[in-house]
Amino acid sequence: MPLDYDKLMALSAELGYRLMESGAEIYRVEESMQLLLHAYGVTFGEVFAIPNCIIVTLTAPDGRPVTQIRRVPAHGTNLDQVERLNDLCRRLCRGTPPLDEAAALLEETLRRPRSYSLPVQLFAYFLGCGSFVLFFGGSWRDGLCGGVCGTILGLCLTGMNRLRTNAFFKTIAGALISALIAVLLVGLRLGAHQDRIIIGTLMVLVPGIAFTNAMRDVMAGDMVAGISKITEALFIGAAIALGTALALGLARMLGGG
Amino acid sequence: MAVWNSLLFPCLCAFGGCLGFCFLFNVHGPNMLLCALGGTLGWMAYLLCAPLVHSDIIQSFLAALVISVWSEVMARLRKCPVTTYLLLALFPLVPGGGIYYTMEHAMAGETQAFLDSLLHTLGLAGALAVGVLMVASVARLFTAWRQRRR
Repeated sequence: MPLDYDKLMALSAELGYRLMESGAEIYRVEESMQLLLHAYGVTFGEVFAIPNCIIVTLTAPDGRPVTQIRRVPAHGTNLDQVERLNDLCRRLCRGTPPLDEAAALLEETLRRPRSYSLPVQLFAYFLGCGSFVLFFGGSWRDGLCGGVCGTILGLCLTGMNRLRTNAFFKTIAGALISALIAVLLVGLRLGAHQDRIIIGTLMVLVPGIAFTNAMRDVMAGDMVAGISKITEALFIGAAIALGTALALGLARMLGGG
Repeated sequence: MAVWNSLLFPCLCAFGGCLGFCFLFNVHGPNMLLCALGGTLGWMAYLLCAPLVHSDIIQSFLAALVISVWSEVMARLRKCPVTTYLLLALFPLVPGGGIYYTMEHAMAGETQAFLDSLLHTLGLAGALAVGVLMVASVARLFTAWRQRRR
């Protein structure tokens, strides 16, 4: 039976789209799609990806070009999904099952998302932020305050994610709220070092991920993707500073200092 | 006691912080432990090389090297993407404090201190980036060399 190029195209585009959506690096997206096309015997295929768009095109044996463009919306990071899609891509390339079967495998991988429940995530915010406050030299009580700020920040972020708020505003609002609570807790004499509590809590928002991924993209030669992600990281850094500054300014106004 | 305060306790906190963030980026199973261990190792390297180099930018660079090597090795052993290990383990090194103090100086109108800490923060981020880049490039070379030999 001859290969159905439309189906192959759809499969490869879907794989790339899902990888991108879960926060994989650009070169991983391009390489996975390219490998998949090669595994199914397509030698005339080109894949091009930038952070919010994937273009894949191939030439069928009868000379007919097939192209698909997928626009990738703003997304978070889901490392578990990257891992499982990467594993799936490896298996598909090794075994090259019939395309219908491969599409079913992909669908099944996506249908069973493993994610943590909200209480576990809030606990993780508490643990992560609290530990980072201690890490930056806070006392035990500062650590507890940081944990509380982190948990509330987590609640806000979850709520804003459900409303699909854009990243810049989400960061400003998150930084504002967590810094306000830190100021409040220090004002109530529950915590001692306001700066350490705020810094520890802000670690959740810090654009380390965007920055590291950007660097890996630059190294792989994807300058456009790298530069756009570095810009994103700088903007998010500025948003953190802005949100915290707003909170401290407000606190100073209300405190009369 | 001195060792506990200056070395073990910060590393323990780095471990806890990375472990907490593993949940947030949806990492499961033994990978969580490996990510957190990577962060701990990186911070240990940062602290241990402090007396040798006297510059936190170079310390960050060396720690990023250690973390990247750890991530590349773990990724190959466990057949997982490198990103998983790298992203989480780098968290303790990310200059969150730099952003905060830069903002504070800007608010206080201390232009000189603001510029100083801004450049310092960018320097720290750059050091991380260069460390990660170097190890990733060497890993690519190594893979290419092995494929050619085959």
